[in-house]
Amino acid sequence: MKDIYELLNDIDVDVTEFEEMEVTKLEIAKVKKSLKKSMNEKKKLKGLKKNLLAASIIVCFSAATVGLTFPAYAKNIPGINDIFRYFDNDRLAFINGTNENKSNATAEKQTGLYHDYKKYSSDINMTKESNGTKITIKEAVFDGKTVSITFSIESEQDLGEQATIFSPKIDGMNGTAGTSKISKIDKNKYVGILTMSNLEDKKLDRANIKWAIDHIQIDKQTSIKGDWPFAFSVKAVDSKVQENQGSAEKNGVKVNIEEITSTPMSFTVYYNQEVSELVSNIWDGVLVDLEIKDNLGNTYSGEDNGGVGDNYNVNLSKTFGKLDGKASKLMITPHVTFIDYNSSNHASVQITNDGPKEIPLPEKPGRGKQEFKLKDIIIEIK
Amino acid sequence: MKSNDTNFIERLQQQKEDALEFIVDQYLPLIKGVTHKVLSPLNNKGVIEECINDIFLSIWKNSKKFHGDTNDFKKWICAIAKYKSIDYYRREFKKIEVSSNYIDIDGEKSAEDELIIQEDRTELIKLINHLDPVERDIFIMRFFLGFKTEEIAKKLGLTKASIDNRIYRGKKKLHKKATPLTLGENGI
Repeated sequence: MKDIYELLNDIDVDVTEFEEMEVTKLEIAKVKKSLKKSMNEKKKLKGLKKNLLAASIIVCFSAATVGLTFPAYAKNIPGINDIFRYFDNDRLAFINGTNENKSNATAEKQTGLYHDYKKYSSDINMTKESNGTKITIKEAVFDGKTVSITFSIESEQDLGEQATIFSPKIDGMNGTAGTSKISKIDKNKYVGILTMSNLEDKKLDRANIKWAIDHIQIDKQTSIKGDWPFAFSVKAVDSKVQENQGSAEKNGVKVNIEEITSTPMSFTVYYNQEVSELVSNIWDGVLVDLEIKDNLGNTYSGEDNGGVGDNYNVNLSKTFGKLDGKASKLMITPHVTFIDYNSSNHASVQITNDGPKEIPLPEKPGRGKQEFKLKDIIIEIK
Repeated sequence: MKSNDTNFIERLQQQKEDALEFIVDQYLPLIKGVTHKVLSPLNNKGVIEECINDIFLSIWKNSKKFHGDTNDFKKWICAIAKYKSIDYYRREFKKIEVSSNYIDIDGEKSAEDELIIQEDRTELIKLINHLDPVERDIFIMRFFLGFKTEEIAKKLGLTKASIDNRIYRGKKKLHKKATPLTLGENGI
């Protein structure tokens, strides 16, 4: 049977009947860009639907594992009552170097991303035990796009410092990216946080989460097998969307701010990066990170949610802590890094029907890395 | 290697992205012309953009189904562009019709147009495969590409009456084939 495209191939159309119309260079570029976008989305989502978490999505978390063991906040163990803030301190300490004292001082000036999360989270408190290891889901928050879940683990086995758990499944989300961190707080006791963001351009009112954990990965070789099935649901907190336009450009990189969504405990900035051919011919990848301050002097710390795109042109979002209600302006500074992929900082696979296939490292002339800042993008808060 | 006049079809069929870029550079003026002619009465820039994007993506996705040389390729993408534009027009038109209770927009819409609007397109294409080649071409030109009977007659070197006759017979055939479908069978 022939489909419409084959049928149309058989038809002898008189091309002189059709008239050409003038197009500008900009129009051509626009069509190409939107084509690239839809092609990439299709590709990515197809891979993801096979339930293999996208290795090809560039989610760029600083590769360093937070090496800090016992920040002051956690010293009140065993009763860590706010895992969210525990990880804030962990992060802030990391940002400011691993000096514990210094981190405490900074933590007071700079509120962490998760400062207000506990207040708006739902208590889940579900515990499952298997193979001598107990996992408890403590709390979860959902802002319509991103779910943050805290959990604790008690295990007879030592999980080390780099344990990970595979991400859950959420109804209605086809493409997701996320991070998880597990940190030791006492002998045999661990706390963890996991965030997962929907990469599709839509918001959900409720996240129905199915998390059938079947193993805890301790390192590349070892894992604890077991059966810890969780299923729970979190309602999205109210969020306010503000469409903001603003952009900055330098050295062939353009960063556009598209939208800011705020919830009672956080705000998320949606942005994209466009990279000129001049740069993409030289460098293997371009990363853009955002630094945000407001007009009252507050600095916000945040967490990348990942994004969809290729190595250069990507739609991204980043979630920051609670927005100060009195602030009227945000100063967003994009930090750009040109990177040269090598075997220690990059690996990428393509999902094919025969399973994952490794993509060789690109060979472009740029070596090492190059960092610079773009001009601040000023956004008025409505 | 980059795509050029002689290798772009091959490269497109190998799914090389630069071939698609080449096609955009080369044929956007033509595609834009075709879509604007059909869709500009709707006065909706967004729909035209969406349609153009859809046309190129369809060319990309279905490139392996194409056979022929550069000249045939031009014909093929013109046909796709026209088909898609009419498709978008019908879809949008339907929307407009639903939302306006007071205006009788068009009395000229034929029963076939109605049928195509309502029918699931893939089902219809399946059915069209049952027609003989000449009838098939006539149907596609008439209902998917929006040609007038006179134009089709001229193109195929037949009389208008003969085209009308074939459309009539074709419809009867389709009707026979389509009846089992309404009873919930596959029919094919």
